[in-house]
Amino acid sequence: MIKKRVAIIGSGNIGTDLLIKIQRSSYLECVLFIGRNLSSPGMAKAISLGIKVSDESIQAIIKDPDCCDIVFDATSAKDAIHHWEILEKLGKIVIDMTPAKLGGLCIPAVNMAESIILKNINMITCGGQASIPIAYLIGKLHKDIEYIEVVSSIASKSAGPATRLNLDEYIETTELGVKLFSNAKNAKAILNLNPAEPCIDMQTTIFAKLDNPKIDELKIEVDKMITSIKKYVPGYQLLVEPIYENGKIVVMIKVQGLGDYLPKYAGNLDIINCAAVAVAEQFAINNQS
Amino acid sequence: MKNILISDPTLRDGNHAVSHKLNLKQIAIYCEAANYANVPIVEVGHGNGLGASSLQVGLSDVTDRQMLETAKKHLTKSKLGIHCIPGFATIKRDLANAIDIGVDVIRVASHCTEADITQRHLGYIRERGKEAYGVLMMSHMAPANLLLEEAQKMENYGAEGIIIMDSAGAYLPSDVTEKISTLVEGLDIPVGFHAHNNLGLAIANSITALESGAKILDGTARGFGAGAGNAQLEVLVAVLIKMGYKTGIDLYNILDASDIAEKEIMPSIPVIKSESIVSGLAGVFSGFSKHVKRISEEFKIDQRDIYFELGKRRVVAGQEDIIIEVAMEILKNKK
Amino acid sequence: MKEQLILIQKDCEKSCADISSLNSLRNQSILITGGTGFVGKWIAEMICYLNEKENFNIKLYLLSRNVELFKTEVPHLAKKSYVNLIEQDVRNIYEIPNDIQWVVNAAGSPDSKEHSSQPIKTIETFTKGTTSLFESCFRLPDLKKIVHLSSHQVYGKINSEKPIDEKQFGSLDAYNLNSIYAESKRLTETYCAIYRNQYRMPIIIARPFAFIGPYQSLNKHWAVNSFIRDGLFGDSIRILGDGNTVRSYLYGSDMAYWILSMLSNGISGECYNLGSSERINLIELANKIVNLLNRNIKINSKSSKESYDNTSIIVPDLSKVFNQLKIEVNIDIDFALMRTIQWNKK
Repeated sequence: MIKKRVAIIGSGNIGTDLLIKIQRSSYLECVLFIGRNLSSPGMAKAISLGIKVSDESIQAIIKDPDCCDIVFDATSAKDAIHHWEILEKLGKIVIDMTPAKLGGLCIPAVNMAESIILKNINMITCGGQASIPIAYLIGKLHKDIEYIEVVSSIASKSAGPATRLNLDEYIETTELGVKLFSNAKNAKAILNLNPAEPCIDMQTTIFAKLDNPKIDELKIEVDKMITSIKKYVPGYQLLVEPIYENGKIVVMIKVQGLGDYLPKYAGNLDIINCAAVAVAEQFAINNQS
Repeated sequence: MKNILISDPTLRDGNHAVSHKLNLKQIAIYCEAANYANVPIVEVGHGNGLGASSLQVGLSDVTDRQMLETAKKHLTKSKLGIHCIPGFATIKRDLANAIDIGVDVIRVASHCTEADITQRHLGYIRERGKEAYGVLMMSHMAPANLLLEEAQKMENYGAEGIIIMDSAGAYLPSDVTEKISTLVEGLDIPVGFHAHNNLGLAIANSITALESGAKILDGTARGFGAGAGNAQLEVLVAVLIKMGYKTGIDLYNILDASDIAEKEIMPSIPVIKSESIVSGLAGVFSGFSKHVKRISEEFKIDQRDIYFELGKRRVVAGQEDIIIEVAMEILKNKK
Repeated sequence: MKEQLILIQKDCEKSCADISSLNSLRNQSILITGGTGFVGKWIAEMICYLNEKENFNIKLYLLSRNVELFKTEVPHLAKKSYVNLIEQDVRNIYEIPNDIQWVVNAAGSPDSKEHSSQPIKTIETFTKGTTSLFESCFRLPDLKKIVHLSSHQVYGKINSEKPIDEKQFGSLDAYNLNSIYAESKRLTETYCAIYRNQYRMPIIIARPFAFIGPYQSLNKHWAVNSFIRDGLFGDSIRILGDGNTVRSYLYGSDMAYWILSMLSNGISGECYNLGSSERINLIELANKIVNLLNRNIKINSKSSKESYDNTSIIVPDLSKVFNQLKIEVNIDIDFALMRTIQWNKK
């Protein structure tokens, strides 16, 4: 197996956690870790792992375009737009961790095959990765769904300044993903930050308003889905199995992190990163030549 | 004579009490009455504010737009206010429309430790030239020094006043004194208090807030609001008159307005039910009460057990989904 | 030497007024940065006492730039099975052992000689050292509390006879080389506020005043150290400046107990004074030392001025410490001076 070479842009929590996950991968090899500040904690971690680092942002790839096959963009939606203009011309596969929505939305357990042929793959949001697989199943089993809603609660400690500032983008991107994958006419996403100590695990609830619920079929499908998601997100668990309550289907999910870069409470960080690595690995497997 | 600014969320907090089913006719009738009584700010909307109509908290029968347009039509003297929680409401989807409709006062709220999420919303409101306030919900969950830091952030983001909410009705008067005085001392902008009546202290706590330096108070007709309800507006107005404060509200007219509210919009007048006392003691968001009642009946378990467990988990406003999980866990442990 | 070490353990016992108040530290892991200085050595002694006499089972990590020095200076502590030495410059920390639950940030020298000759390094050790440490602490899965050692110098210049309380701030001239230490300490306090608020980390600030006791080098320029040195090895004690200057001195074992109490019982977001409330002026101090030395030695005053308008009084107000933490000064100045002299005679 020849490992695909990847570069990570963005040395914050997402980027650094991705790096640690990629270090474990049999299919991927991080050849360049890029940020803006060589003395940031993420950079220090990368240097300690013996990874080549750069503080030149996208310039690092422009200067050495052949260094990698895949680029993980873990910066911001605004920067990701600019990076994609460059990376597209250089023919890189981009896995976009921001809510920039430049490429196809990807949920590995649902549309892996269609995603890995794309040049720009968007990982939606953490809440999207947790909720959309279930919303997709509800959409598959029920016709003409009027409304689906997904609510996530995360530990305040796991929401950095960028997340807090960009709640609106989180909501928009998650809602877009829910609608697209479930075919519901309307969707709503809600995010709560909970400051409790010890930190809460990420918890996501999926509600669907409908009249003739197929709860038994849904239970079977949900179990299968959880098994397949667990393959790439080990901490993904069913907290409350599908029930029909007060005119709506309710399913609850809990996501515990692996505790790679941030502690285990940061399931939100973990799920989107695990999903991104899963896509990149599948790409690597399918493109061995 | 000291001036006190009164904001009346009867048609917003009261919406919790009817599972967000206030209709347009009811909104029109009460707005007209409150406007006639010279209530300075009339807050309207879903219980959790703009964009909060949801399966999580409760679906409204009417849209935000319909509610606000109706209210606007009947408020000629009173300002139209709304509550807005980032995480529920977005600028593009909700806030922009509300301002287009003619909302005058917007109160941007977050859980008491999460003021950072209000920056963009507060900024947008000020950009549009509207009055912006910051609201710290469930404020009993944070110590005074932390509340002050969060309030200072909101001040820096552009809030023109800070309201702390006793969303769980958990405060004792001594808590009010400590927290309000800390805020008054540390902020340049006026401070307000929003009471709930779970422990029968809504009026007493509101007065304590004034005596500690608060300049803004919330009250609702008959105390119509989530859980055990809020500070009863007509009582508050009467007490303030007796104490020599000026609110600009006409006593007879506000008494009439509350009579109208009782007749036209309340299926029942708020009372402190047993479960509300437990909810206050456990420090659980008042807006949970309808959900806890319904779910405890469905799962045949004691509401009080649910409240105490929710309190133990330090659940915040907006986490209504956890009620089902807690109920199922209690059920499982029983077996 | 062995007897001296036994005495130190006795001092620790004397300072531990209420062992049960430290119970939350039982079976826990504690990191001390600047672990090989005066603060680090005394905390290590105190933990040695707690572990060996009270079965606390604390795992101690001491982080320092120079671990070898620690091994030669205090081999009896270095070889304890529960003492783990980490050699690293605090400015370069990016990862610390995952089992650490409690942290005392005592890195950086309070020695003004170093501040004068290495000003940039001084500032960086405090500022960059603190942010690097906090960034690493943020990623700990089970962080319980951090006590950050600041300095009474953050209070600036206060012209008052009264003890200084935690909210009393005087002026500080930023554009002044002598402000290096005070300004870095002020900035790191702001970092503490940021990490506590934005990163939601439980941080307490302790503001040390003067300390005294074994493990403190006599070559520091502070009055008490110079007096003892001159008294022991010189021919006269020289009081430089105003002899009416008032200070107070907290003994090492009291300091260690106080810091552990703050760790265990302090409230996140609070600042506490860390010093003795027992006032003493330099003339009295010199006289006490002369009496203890039992040696015929003169006291001289050297001063640039005939008289002083304002007497410098730097003594902490301990009301908050007493009220919130229920800790007291257990070792008075006479005992502290006696033990310090005894230690340095060796």
